[in-house]
Amino acid sequence: MVLIKVRSGSPYYSNIKIMLQTTIKNKSIDLFYFLGSILLLLVIWQLVTIVTKAEIPGPLATFTVFKELMAEPFYDRGPNDKGIGNQLFSSLIRVFSGFGIGSLIAIPLGLIMGASKVGMKLLNPLVQILKPVSPLAWFPLGLLAFKAAEGATIFIIAITSLWPTLINTAFGVSSIPQDHKNVGKAFGFSKWKYVTKIMLPFAIPHIMTGLRLSIGIAWMVIVAGEMLSGGVGIGFFVWDSWNGLSLEKILIAILIIGTVGLLLDKAFNAIQNAFSWEKK
Amino acid sequence: MTNITNPVTYVDSSTDFHKIPPKTSIEISDVTVSFKGQNGTFTAIKDISLTVKKGEIVSLIGHSGCGKSTLMNTISGMVTPTKGTVIANEKTVNGPGPDRGIVFQNYSLLPWLSVYSNIYEAVDAVMKDKTLAEKRELVEKNLDMVNLLSHKDKLPGQLSGGMKQRVAIARAFAINPSILLLDEPFGALDALTKGAMHIELLKLWNLDNRNKTIVMVTHDIEEAIFLSDRVVVMNNGPAATIKEIVDINIARPRNKKDIAHDPEFIRVHDQLLSLLFEKFSIED
Repeated sequence: MVLIKVRSGSPYYSNIKIMLQTTIKNKSIDLFYFLGSILLLLVIWQLVTIVTKAEIPGPLATFTVFKELMAEPFYDRGPNDKGIGNQLFSSLIRVFSGFGIGSLIAIPLGLIMGASKVGMKLLNPLVQILKPVSPLAWFPLGLLAFKAAEGATIFIIAITSLWPTLINTAFGVSSIPQDHKNVGKAFGFSKWKYVTKIMLPFAIPHIMTGLRLSIGIAWMVIVAGEMLSGGVGIGFFVWDSWNGLSLEKILIAILIIGTVGLLLDKAFNAIQNAFSWEKK
Repeated sequence: MTNITNPVTYVDSSTDFHKIPPKTSIEISDVTVSFKGQNGTFTAIKDISLTVKKGEIVSLIGHSGCGKSTLMNTISGMVTPTKGTVIANEKTVNGPGPDRGIVFQNYSLLPWLSVYSNIYEAVDAVMKDKTLAEKRELVEKNLDMVNLLSHKDKLPGQLSGGMKQRVAIARAFAINPSILLLDEPFGALDALTKGAMHIELLKLWNLDNRNKTIVMVTHDIEEAIFLSDRVVVMNNGPAATIKEIVDINIARPRNKKDIAHDPEFIRVHDQLLSLLFEKFSIED
């Protein structure tokens, strides 16, 4: 590594200074808009509270309950009374299990679909029919197959979240440019070399896009799944709070679900960027 | 013993040595290529025969869509003739093979692999029995030949057009093919880079004792004359045929600057121009 000593007053120094200043400036503008967005949410929320004559609790009341919840997020007082942290943690494990299983099915199937015309023609109608089915419709089948609510929840997450990964993988593989294929042909690449050096590298950014869309769906399905299955989880927490008539807790759950969804998306976006060779 | 009973010809002097006809490298006989399209069959090239000697540089020139790339692809094996045969290195062509190196029009480097890996994967695919160290050495030698060794860890996206083309040429040379096929290799380069690349290509050809046969598709007349021993002018498609084969009798090594004043260059240049543009000369 080459270290360049930069003295103040040198042209490099002023350049770096300007660069840093622009980054800081951009970041602070972003932060400013983010805070503005939160403020907007709080104002609308407060207005709704005023209009509904506090039937829907306002931000302040909700924050008080939030503080109580956060005081002891991981308490455990029996199967139906657990802290918010525990609930969230179980949900995340369930989501990643379902998403993981779904991806393990979707990626190989997508590769087959994309690589062979027969595979595409045979599987595409199946995908088109099964893709729009609601997770709730799958639930009874899951119960029947796994004889347990836990298995059924993971099953519906897997089967509803795998489609974007499947479709994007298939699209990625089927859209490999002729130029890249010609390289394999001209230099006599083996099947294995073709798959590892041409097909997968080209398809990986597409697969990553698919996975990012899939994790979003998986996270959306979890609440519906857990409302039906009960047990521990953020979806069950929403339902339990409704039964306990604590609207504050429901609002907190909504905000937590939204925030976690945003973080998952950001994380997958970062992974996606790391795998994209186009931007390098 | 007389020469009739003993068919082996002995070479007595160095002048006789040059009289031995060089081996045939490529033999295209009576090749027709048709493609089945939505509007019936489209014939790109029809009844083409062409023989290329070992170590010869031949350019295929013609207007866009005249089937010159198609003709070259029958040699590479990317296109299978509908009729006729192509023999390369004494074997009938029925698919791409490592004895024929290809430099594609748009470089065709794999954008996710470094410059080094782009060449390494080709070497690895072709030379399976070489050791890792030998393959590494071969890649580095060829990168050094095109002066890109210091850029070996870069991705193709970080290179200029001329550099990318040098990588593609190094890749084709690295597998040491006896026939090199170039499909409009310098078409996307600016005039200055193009001139430098011509010299680069001839340098590599010389380094290999002028043993490689080179077939090149181009639509640049100066380029064709500067590089080739023969220029094959093609008729316009569909069902294109060879219009004329022009010999370039300019001594090698050729000099980029001097050649422009060579009377032979000027004569051949005029001849090629009129062969290519006679159709449009009246309308103006």
